[in-house]
Amino acid sequence: MKKAICSSLMLISFAVGLLAQQGAEGLVTDGAAYLAGFFKNKFDVSVAIVRFENESELTDLALQKIYQMLVSRLEDEKNIRVSDLLIGFSNGRGEFNLSQAGALDYLLDLKLIQNKSKTGLGLTVYSRLQDRVVSVKYFEKAILQGEMDSLNARDFAFSELGFTKLLEFESKKDLMDIRSIAADDGTLHYFFYYPDEIIIYVAKETRLEKYFQFKLKWARPFYPALHHEGRLLLFRSGPALFLTAGNNSSPYALVFSMRDGLWQETQKLNFVPFQHVILNQNPYLVGARFEEGRNFFKDEIYFMPFSDPLEKSASYKKKVYSAMALDLSTRGGQLQAVHLIDRNYGYHLFTAEFEEKTPLPEKKGASLAALDGEWLAISDHSRDADQIFFYDIRDGGQRQAYIGKVAGEVQFISAGIWLGTGGFWAGVCQRTDGPERFMVQFWGKRNE
Amino acid sequence: MNNKKLLLLPLALFMLSAIKPYYGGEMTIRLNEPASFHLNTANYSNLIFYSLIYENFFYMKKDGEISSNVFQDYRYDAAARTLFLTVRENLSFSNGKPLTAKNIQVSLNIFLASDLFAASRLSKAIKNVRVSENQVAVELLADNPDIVSLLTAPELVVLAEDEQSFSGVFYPQEWEKNHHLTLRANPFYAGGRTYLDSVRITFTESPAPDLFLGSPNQFKENFHEFDSGIYQNIYLCFLQGDVGQNTKIALYSLLNRFNEATGGKFRALHTLTADEESPISIRIKTFSPQKTASILKYADIKLYILASLSSLEKDLTAFLKESNLRIETLFIDDSQFAIFLDSAAIKYVLIDRIFQKKIPAEEKISRILKESSFNRFNASYLRMLSELDEASFSNSQELLTEQIARISEAIVNDGFIFPLFQKNYSLYVRKTWPAVEIDYYGRPLLQKAGKSNE
Repeated sequence: MKKAICSSLMLISFAVGLLAQQGAEGLVTDGAAYLAGFFKNKFDVSVAIVRFENESELTDLALQKIYQMLVSRLEDEKNIRVSDLLIGFSNGRGEFNLSQAGALDYLLDLKLIQNKSKTGLGLTVYSRLQDRVVSVKYFEKAILQGEMDSLNARDFAFSELGFTKLLEFESKKDLMDIRSIAADDGTLHYFFYYPDEIIIYVAKETRLEKYFQFKLKWARPFYPALHHEGRLLLFRSGPALFLTAGNNSSPYALVFSMRDGLWQETQKLNFVPFQHVILNQNPYLVGARFEEGRNFFKDEIYFMPFSDPLEKSASYKKKVYSAMALDLSTRGGQLQAVHLIDRNYGYHLFTAEFEEKTPLPEKKGASLAALDGEWLAISDHSRDADQIFFYDIRDGGQRQAYIGKVAGEVQFISAGIWLGTGGFWAGVCQRTDGPERFMVQFWGKRNE
Repeated sequence: MNNKKLLLLPLALFMLSAIKPYYGGEMTIRLNEPASFHLNTANYSNLIFYSLIYENFFYMKKDGEISSNVFQDYRYDAAARTLFLTVRENLSFSNGKPLTAKNIQVSLNIFLASDLFAASRLSKAIKNVRVSENQVAVELLADNPDIVSLLTAPELVVLAEDEQSFSGVFYPQEWEKNHHLTLRANPFYAGGRTYLDSVRITFTESPAPDLFLGSPNQFKENFHEFDSGIYQNIYLCFLQGDVGQNTKIALYSLLNRFNEATGGKFRALHTLTADEESPISIRIKTFSPQKTASILKYADIKLYILASLSSLEKDLTAFLKESNLRIETLFIDDSQFAIFLDSAAIKYVLIDRIFQKKIPAEEKISRILKESSFNRFNASYLRMLSELDEASFSNSQELLTEQIARISEAIVNDGFIFPLFQKNYSLYVRKTWPAVEIDYYGRPLLQKAGKSNE
């Protein structure tokens, strides 16, 4: 008898699970079906949700899930090209990156309302070319309390397809950054940046083999640091290969170029470059200055046209916040956004025009890095249980997609590539169980 | 607790658990006011103060682990009987002037020339000190693999050529006499810039400090208490031979009465080091108040007191004024005191010495004899010190104890030093600053103190 009760309880809970998404999913299904019908006879139309307001009892988290469900349904439609412009939800409103809205054919406006016991979805289709609203539709479904709780709960689907740890090995202490670049023979060289040297590795099957190393010569003024922070940048300018290395102990970053098979110091810069971008069709080095001896950047971003020799006169600066971590997302070499963690561990986003957005108003972090214009990784700020949050930023939006648990404390994150897979390097300090260890991890997507 | 403090507490707890430590903030420390920025570690308060602005060659943790911020490498070559110290590259003093191997050599030589027990011990072991590029070679007279432990003396610090350069975690920025002193974080500090932006050293009761010295077993609620491992002994010294025995005992009795009258802040001291380790007890029978008054009534006494005891000034001056005796107190800095030593004018002196509890008794008694006998040091003391050295090497505890007893007895019989009081110290640190560590010498290490820690 007990077994029978137990089985029926399991069945009931399973049934509740199945029902849990029914109301919301129904709204999404109806909405997607309606839009599929609307765009049926159109070909290759570009569409994006540009407004999403919530007057229902659902939370921002539930809104994000509904948004994700709707976008993924629309992505299945072959004649629609959907852009995901969502930056984030806060206070019942979605914030969208509208800088590229001018390139879209149709703009979608969504609104959730509470109608007695039911939740309603209002859907407005606006044609940008016709400059008018071309369709309005309203759907209604009952979302029961259990489903509402489920929607409001923090959980992100498909994590098994997301970023996972593909590689882990131990490094010597104080590793500050990792960058890679294809050498002339096509092999990928991995540059590991320590306070006083750079060690270059090459990948041999699934491991790294030391290839070369060279010492870095710093000069006074030199500000010894308790916590070493530094950034490397590797880039090509014409046929020449360049390397820059800056850190929080020296006010000057070193610039090296590969000459006759050797890295030779050629210049010094008064900021630490971490991106090579194209602005107005000119190559620029973009970076920031560390507060001497401390673990954060000053509140300005430096832009310097890059040429060899350096032409510093057309340099300029943009004001942001003092930052514990700072990176740029780019697409095709063009600046897309500036991401930073301020000194109170708060996350900030600036557009390419340096307009501040608040996509994740409560988001705290410690380290971050952007993988081109596709993914953003932010480590948690707490010591107790560190983790890396991965955000999808492909369409200028910002949608949390995956979470990776980390044993230890993430000291830095940098975008990179391992065995052809794009992802993130993470330097992790592990202090439990004996002496401190410094681990290097690579997080990437197995399915890409 | 006011609202501001209520808000600060969760912020501090939040920052504590953050992976990337927060740089900024100020800590308030209550200490005795120093006489100058010239190194003087005569008392516990000074020991702490000067450790903030001068960097030690080596640090010793409570568990005996030795480390250095100045040297990137140090190794002892037994065959060459030489200790090689390699100075880290690109070091600077607080004003940006280079800190080089030459500064290390000069600093070591200044220490060796000082009148300190630790210096004379080291001096006896060293043959010469050479410099080559960023390396200092310390050649020894005899093989001594433990030479580095002798270099952990708190008085062995890195000194600059000019007085405006400091090697420590902080450097002085502002000094409002009798009130406070502000120290700023040294941006060039060899060990890496501290999390704190500044330290405020207060010499007054308010504002409430985050770190201070006090008698043990107090302030449990809001403060962590650290056993400093240190005690401070106060001695009454008579530098001239013409002071009568009655006058000596009368002054001794008066000072004992002063301690009673001010709440017994100090413990009576009946030995030269510590009552619990000394083989002999020195009992000086005090005079009654009447007899003391009659003896001192016509005496014209100038009692010199080391500046390190300036905390006594207010109470002692009031006490002596009330006693209607013609006793003038003059607080004097260590360096001035050394100048006046040869003068016959100084007859009565109140001095203090701090001791690490763990240091062997023979080392303490040797220090007292060397550092506190002043102009009364003579050939017989030198002989006794040599005999103490021999006893130390004999491995006979009995012989050693007997020699300590002999020296104590000789010093007291010669009547130039009377042990007066002893004070034990605890170091209290507010619980919102948990990252403060204490080294072997009872000094707080503030490099990693902050709202977040490492």
